[in-house]
Amino acid sequence: MSRFILRRLLQSAVVLLGVTLVVFLLLQLVPGDPVRVALGTRFDPQTYEALRSRAGLDRPLLTQYLSYVGNALTGDLGVSFRSGQPVTTIVLERLPATLSLALTAVLIAVLIALPLGVLAAVRNGSALDHAARVFSQFGVSVPDFWMGIMGILLFAGVLGWLPPSGYVALTDDPAGWLSHVLLPAATIGLVTASILTRFIRSSVLEVLSADHVRTAEAKGLRGRVVVLRHVLRNALIPVVTVVAVQLASLLGGVIVVEVLFAWPGIGRLTYDAVQARDYPVLQGAVLLVAALFLVMNLLVDILYARLDPRIRVR
Amino acid sequence: MSNFGSRLAGATLAVVLVAAGGCSAGKGVDVDGGGATGGAGGVLTAAIGGEPDQLDPHKTSAYYSFQVLENVYDTLVEPDENLEMKPALATEWKTSDDQLTWTFTLREGVKFSDGSPLTSQDVKYSFDRIVGEKLNNAYRFASVKSVAAPDPKTVVVTLSAPTPNLLANLGGFKGVAIVQKANIESGAVKTKPVGSGPFAVSAYTSGDSVKLVRNDNYWGDKPKLDGVTFTFVKDPTVALQNLRGGEVQWTDNLPPQQVPSLKDGGDLEVQTTPSSDYWYLTLNQARKPYSDVNVRRAVAFALDPAAITKAAKFGLATTNQTAIPKGSAWYYEYAPYRHDPAQAKQLLGQAGVTGLTMELMVTSEYPETVSAAQVIAAQLKEVGITVRIRTLDFAQWLDEQGKGNFDAFMLGWLGNIDPDEFYYAQHHSGGTFNFQKYRNPAVDKLLDQARTETDQAARKQAYDQVAKQVVDDASYIYLYNPDVVQGWSKKVTGYQARTDRAIRFRDVALAK
Repeated sequence: MSRFILRRLLQSAVVLLGVTLVVFLLLQLVPGDPVRVALGTRFDPQTYEALRSRAGLDRPLLTQYLSYVGNALTGDLGVSFRSGQPVTTIVLERLPATLSLALTAVLIAVLIALPLGVLAAVRNGSALDHAARVFSQFGVSVPDFWMGIMGILLFAGVLGWLPPSGYVALTDDPAGWLSHVLLPAATIGLVTASILTRFIRSSVLEVLSADHVRTAEAKGLRGRVVVLRHVLRNALIPVVTVVAVQLASLLGGVIVVEVLFAWPGIGRLTYDAVQARDYPVLQGAVLLVAALFLVMNLLVDILYARLDPRIRVR
Repeated sequence: MSNFGSRLAGATLAVVLVAAGGCSAGKGVDVDGGGATGGAGGVLTAAIGGEPDQLDPHKTSAYYSFQVLENVYDTLVEPDENLEMKPALATEWKTSDDQLTWTFTLREGVKFSDGSPLTSQDVKYSFDRIVGEKLNNAYRFASVKSVAAPDPKTVVVTLSAPTPNLLANLGGFKGVAIVQKANIESGAVKTKPVGSGPFAVSAYTSGDSVKLVRNDNYWGDKPKLDGVTFTFVKDPTVALQNLRGGEVQWTDNLPPQQVPSLKDGGDLEVQTTPSSDYWYLTLNQARKPYSDVNVRRAVAFALDPAAITKAAKFGLATTNQTAIPKGSAWYYEYAPYRHDPAQAKQLLGQAGVTGLTMELMVTSEYPETVSAAQVIAAQLKEVGITVRIRTLDFAQWLDEQGKGNFDAFMLGWLGNIDPDEFYYAQHHSGGTFNFQKYRNPAVDKLLDQARTETDQAARKQAYDQVAKQVVDDASYIYLYNPDVVQGWSKKVTGYQARTDRAIRFRDVALAK
């Protein structure tokens, strides 16, 4: 097992190196000049050249890339072009907000989708099944910014139960954090729940028709026991992958929702960095997201083995 | 199942712990004041539309930064509510007979917020830094030969040519603020700037807020508030909801379509004030057929500025065919164009232009240009010009503008005070912002003269002539001066919306 993890970690390092190269090259292709954006509309050739050379953007591309990778190996992801702050600090500062939002959202999604998906499958064709399908259709087709605004207008405006936007750190004030995280997490959670519900429903349906389930029923086991012990565990394997992928993409920051709710996470950071063409910050954010994806994948593989003894990691 | 459950719970807990660890390692965790320090003033929370890129006043160009910095820094002189330059750090100034030497006397006993004294050396350091490092506002010092500090209270500015608008250049906004050398050299200025203004930055949490506390070393009347917190709320509907719910007490990010009803409604104070900004359409004179003045004038006659203003600003603007708004001492009343498609077609005929397709470049950064473009396209279609709208993000937009890759674009100029700022860089053939490549020797000569003309009446006359010529030549087709729109809670007193969009909280009080 430990050898497996070590090998995966080495592979991950190679992937990350590839990510830096691809991102670096892609950024060169994106139109838009960071120096021009930093100076705004008031453009003066001398000021422009001075800023360009201060930012090191006048060096040859290869030099820029090699010095970036060299520094990155020591944990130094460079300095933000706009704020002059170290990118490592900026990105890590935003991580807690995004982590707490993503985990809450996935928790909400699983709490809704798991019972709903299983019940819809077990009572296939019932009114509940139809309701679950309508719900998931609604969730995937309604844009999240619209859902977010409606949530704000209802829960912050009309009812006055929750603050409309903003962020409080979990470590500073857990109750304040909870009241601020609920609306954005529910907005994301409902969308994710819709995706998961469909997935869980079809996965459970598939397992329900499997031979071992018929055997279990033939043994005279009660319906609930069959579902919990024989169906769910088998049905969950693909579901875990989907949950993990969803979580990983949420950890990359939910740009629209973070911007709407003024949530200081990775998504908002990425959005601002794109607008400003702040290459170092953008590279740092992408690198972090890539690393999170790799870690999530590794965790999923390990989890597979736990769920299904037939799968062995090597 | 139970095995799986506990594993999952364990994994989740581990990630949460990582998150919590990251939290406590993060900086800028500051307990919101809320009057706990004993002052009667309380903390005002202001929602602004975006995040400052950095807080070094000489290096940022973002309005979001200046909304904060307006309350942190001082300038030598500063504009009052009519944009007349008034004493700030300098209490008086003398000009030599040849107009080439300006001697400023600094206020007695001014300190930075950390308690260290602010002297003429700091003024010299600040100005030398902007010029020497070629920072954003270096162009404002084009005629400044040297800055000297003969004694702690005296600053002498020596010029290469008379500069009647020197005060506006040296004090028009906080981009030319007086900074502290130690704060700059340590690099702390980017997130924790030290100024001499009414408030001082106490915490900057990236992505979330900038917190200011009252500067007890401030030279002016002590601010009534204990502090000001700026939060960054991009969505105007959300900002309005925050204002209604009492989470914030001030915002300038209101949904424009709701402003008329908010002004009538009872629970909020919403003010609209004409600004000194202007928005315009311009045609690339380096390209045919826009090099022909008849084509440019045809476009001007084809447009209906009233309809454009309505679409772009929901009526929160005043149409104006010149740059400088009514109400300014430099306003020149001149409006030769009217919505007249027949006249436009005739001018196009004279120029021999038929079936013209024009690319109009607008940017999503300023949504009003995107809405206005639709109306402009419809109006130009009436006279046979097909408009292809190119909506770009701002970075790309600026790139294309700089390279001259456009037929036409719409944008605005913000925060100008002196007529030189309105016209020189935009319409002088050597002007750095003359992207439309306008060239008129008569205008060049007038602009050069007016720049150094010290007689106010003669100067005004020169700029009137410039305004007339620029409008007649349609170098810019001016559209409107937008309103400044700001809203605040009824608990806020002593706040005034300003035409230059400077956000000053120094005299504001907050009722409990």
